[in-house]
Amino acid sequence: MTESRSRRLGDALIAPVCFGVGILAAWEAVVRVTGLKPFVLPAPTAIWTAFTDRFSDVVDKSMVTGANALIGLVLGAVFGIAMSFVIVRFRLLEELVTPLAVALNAVPIVVIVPVLNNMLFGTTSQVPRRLMVTLIVFFVVLVNVSKGLRQVSPTQLELMRSYAASPWEVMKKVRVPNSIGYLVTALRIAAPLAVITAFVSEYFGGPQDGLANAVTNSLNGSKDVTWAYVIGASTLGLIFYLASIGVERVNDATRGPRQAT
Amino acid sequence: MTDTAQPVHPSVDARGVAMSFNQGTAEQVDALVDVDLRIESGAFVSLIGPSGCGKSTLLRLIANLIEPTAGQVMVNGKDAAQARLDQDYGMAFQQSGLFDWRTVTKNIELPLELKGWGKAERSARAAEMLELVKLADRGNHMPWQLSGGQQQRIAIARALAAHPPLLLMDEPFGALDEMTREHMQSELLDICAAANTTVVFVTHSIPEAVYLSTQVVVMSAGPGRITDVIDVDLGRTRDEDTREDDGFYKKVTEVREALRGGDHERSTHRSEDR
Repeated sequence: MTESRSRRLGDALIAPVCFGVGILAAWEAVVRVTGLKPFVLPAPTAIWTAFTDRFSDVVDKSMVTGANALIGLVLGAVFGIAMSFVIVRFRLLEELVTPLAVALNAVPIVVIVPVLNNMLFGTTSQVPRRLMVTLIVFFVVLVNVSKGLRQVSPTQLELMRSYAASPWEVMKKVRVPNSIGYLVTALRIAAPLAVITAFVSEYFGGPQDGLANAVTNSLNGSKDVTWAYVIGASTLGLIFYLASIGVERVNDATRGPRQAT
Repeated sequence: MTDTAQPVHPSVDARGVAMSFNQGTAEQVDALVDVDLRIESGAFVSLIGPSGCGKSTLLRLIANLIEPTAGQVMVNGKDAAQARLDQDYGMAFQQSGLFDWRTVTKNIELPLELKGWGKAERSARAAEMLELVKLADRGNHMPWQLSGGQQQRIAIARALAAHPPLLLMDEPFGALDEMTREHMQSELLDICAAANTTVVFVTHSIPEAVYLSTQVVVMSAGPGRITDVIDVDLGRTRDEDTREDDGFYKKVTEVREALRGGDHERSTHRSEDR
C-alpha cells in the first residue's frame, strides 16, 4: 500500500518537476543567448550562486520575517480562540463582532502599519508588523472557530440533553471537539496569510532587517542578489504552507475525510 | 442492577398531553392535542402516522427534550424531567449521532462517562455492548470507518449501555436499505429481549411497526393526535417466518386501514374547512 502510494506520488510529481526544470533551462538559455544584463534579468545559475554566497544572511533575514509571521500566527490564534468562546457565550456580542470581523477581512488592513509605526511604536520596532499579522489571523480564526463551536449536529445536542449533560459538559465533550476541524481549516487559511502579511508590512517602513526589506534594498544593485532573497521568501512561504497542510493531514487521518470545509 | 426488579409503574404514562409551537402567535402549530398513552413495562410500542402527526414530538415529550404545553408525562412513575435527569431511558435517532472524534468504544462509553462510571467499569460495559451488537472487533475503529447499518448498531449499543429500562427510538432504521433494515429489526428484538427493555419506536413503515411491536399506536395529523391503538398478538418470538405469516399480513392490513381512516377523517375535515 505504501509502495503504491509512493508510486502515485512519484507519478504526480514527474510532470510539474519536468515543467519547472524546463522553465529554468529555457530561462538560462534566453539570458545566455540574448546576453541580458544581470541588473535586468539574471540567469538562474547566477541567482543560485548569489543565494549560496549569502546563504547565512538570507537565513537571518528569513528568521526575522518568519518570527514576525509565527508570533503573529500564534497570538492571533490564541486571541481568536479565546474570543470565540466569549462570543459563543454572549449572543449579543456575536451579533456585534461577527459582521465587523467579516467586513475587516475584506479591507486591506495592512495599510495601517505605517500609522502604527508613526503613532505608537516608532520605526525601530517589529511590534506593528506582528500586530498586523495577529489581527489578520485573529479574524480568520474567530470566524471559523466560533462557527465550529456553534454548528453542532442537532442530534448530538438532543443526545446530550437526554444524558442530562450540563452546559459545561456539552462545551467540553461536543462543542470544543467539534470546533477542532474548523480551527485546522482556519490555520490552513491563516498560515500563508501570516507570511504574506509579515512580508507586506515590511514595505511600510520600520526596521530594515527582514526579507522584504532585503528585496527592496538590493534593487539598486545586481538583481541576482534580489532574486536570492526571493528564493528565501518563497521557501519561508512554502514552509508555513506545508506545516499547515501537515496539521490538516494529521487531523484528517484521525477524523476521516472531511465532508465540507 | 434494576433488571430483575418488578416495576410497579407503567413505563410511560401520558395524560391530556398537548404540544403547541409558537403558542399565542399567528404561527401557532398544534403538533399534538389531547394525547393519553399508557405503555406497560416490557412492551414494544410503535408510533406510526403520516408526517406532521406529531409522532416524533410525542417521543421528544416522553424524553423531556421538550416540555408539553398542557398535560403531564410520567416515565417509570416519575415526572419526565426527573426521569431524564436520572437517565432512565436511552435514545437513538435516524442519524446515528456518533461523535466523529471518538472511537466506537469511546462513543458507547459517553453516557457512562456522564453518569460518572469509573474507567474500568466503562470499558467492560462497552465491550459487553459491542458483543451484544456483534461488532466486538470494531471497538477501536472510528465511526466513519463503519457502514450505515454498523453505525446504527453502535448508536443502539450506546443507548442501552447504561442499562436503561426504556429505549426511545426515532426512525432509527429510516436511512438504511431494505435488507439491512429487516436484519436490524430482528437484531433489535433480540437485543431488547436480552436487556429486558421497554421500547417506544417511531416509524412510518407499517411492516416494520407490525413486525417489531406488541402495540401499534396509529396517529393522524392536523392536529396531531392518537386515532387508534392496535394490539399485535404475534407472540414475543418473531423471526423471518413471521414476515410471511398470515397473522402478520392481517395486522399490516389492519394498521393500514387504521391509517387510511385517520387520513380520510382528515380530508373530510379539510374540505369542511374550505
